[in-house]
Amino acid sequence: MTPARWSPAVVVLHWLNAALTLELLAHGWAMTHAVFVAATTFDLYQWHKALGFSALALTAIRLAARLRFAAPEPVAGWEGRLARTVQASFYGLTLFAIGAGWLVVSTSPLPIPTRFFGLFIVPNIARPDAALFAWATLAHRVGTYAIAALVALHVAGALKHHWIDRDDTLTRMRPRWPNKWGVCNGGTVSSGARGQKSWK
Amino acid sequence: MTVQGKVFRRARIAFVILALGAVSLTPAPAPAAADWKIDPARTTIAFAIDATGFPRTEGRFRHFEGRIAVDFNRPENSSVAFHVQSGSVDVGSASFSDYLRSPAFLDAGKHPSIDFVSTSVQKLSDHAVRVTGELTLLGVTKPLIVDVAVTRDAGGKGRLEFEAQTRIDRLEFGMNSGFPLVSRNVDLMIKSAAAEL
Repeated sequence: MTPARWSPAVVVLHWLNAALTLELLAHGWAMTHAVFVAATTFDLYQWHKALGFSALALTAIRLAARLRFAAPEPVAGWEGRLARTVQASFYGLTLFAIGAGWLVVSTSPLPIPTRFFGLFIVPNIARPDAALFAWATLAHRVGTYAIAALVALHVAGALKHHWIDRDDTLTRMRPRWPNKWGVCNGGTVSSGARGQKSWK
Repeated sequence: MTVQGKVFRRARIAFVILALGAVSLTPAPAPAAADWKIDPARTTIAFAIDATGFPRTEGRFRHFEGRIAVDFNRPENSSVAFHVQSGSVDVGSASFSDYLRSPAFLDAGKHPSIDFVSTSVQKLSDHAVRVTGELTLLGVTKPLIVDVAVTRDAGGKGRLEFEAQTRIDRLEFGMNSGFPLVSRNVDLMIKSAAAEL
């Protein structure tokens, strides 16, 4: 049976991943473009690496949740196909960008151990190699700019459905807060009030 | 005079002649250079290194000990020795400082001390001396020449201020990590103040 909304697990993971993706994009841009002192730049790189590996773990959990919990009915027509393509591309490009980032860290001519929040050292997947390092850096950059473009497309699509089509595409991804009786009901009323064009 | 007495007398004369010869062959002993106490609060041992795609790294060593002996009349009798704890490196970030202590750079576990010991001091002017010495880093000793600006504090008991800048090639000491992304040249900036003991 097709559910009316996304599973709460998928909703929570979606917004966690959204926050982490935006953080990593801004963080990566800042550490490579803005001018900081060396100590701050070093720390920004180390945090970026640890958060990047967090995003890898989160993406794996999201993929598992996506397979475990049924998805609501997608929007019909070309918009639905585009939405599904964008969503699938998010997973693909995220894995590609993180993989390229891991290769950057591993092949760097100046290997700096990646300490995952001080818990353990993430192993490298290749040996230092200046040529491969240059390619991996380019791939990481292209991958992350593509993700930034997808974010723009994804947000534009969600807002178009919310404000122009006035359907529940956005609200069905809205977190529901338990009321004082511990029952999640937020969003259902407004979803119904906005019409049921995309899911029946 | 007995035979024994003659032998002693000759031996005494020979000793005096030898002693006189020794005195005439070696320069008169110079008055010892006075020891000065380094003021750690007014001493900075700093360094800077450039890298491609990364800001210039500037840092300092927090723990060191030094000895300065100064002879104003005979500057060549002056000497200086500094022993810097490599593990006290501080670049303003705990994780970055930890990384610099690792075997990739300072290898502080294996080489806890960076040493400079002068071998000669030459007066350049009333306010400058050239200190020639040996720098030991990562267990490798290389000669190093440093021009030091010296300021004598006019007021109070004898105070001296020193300021020196020099540049070393880290590859000469076997510190190769990150080259050429990380420059081979390391700038050293030393400021110190000392008071006469």
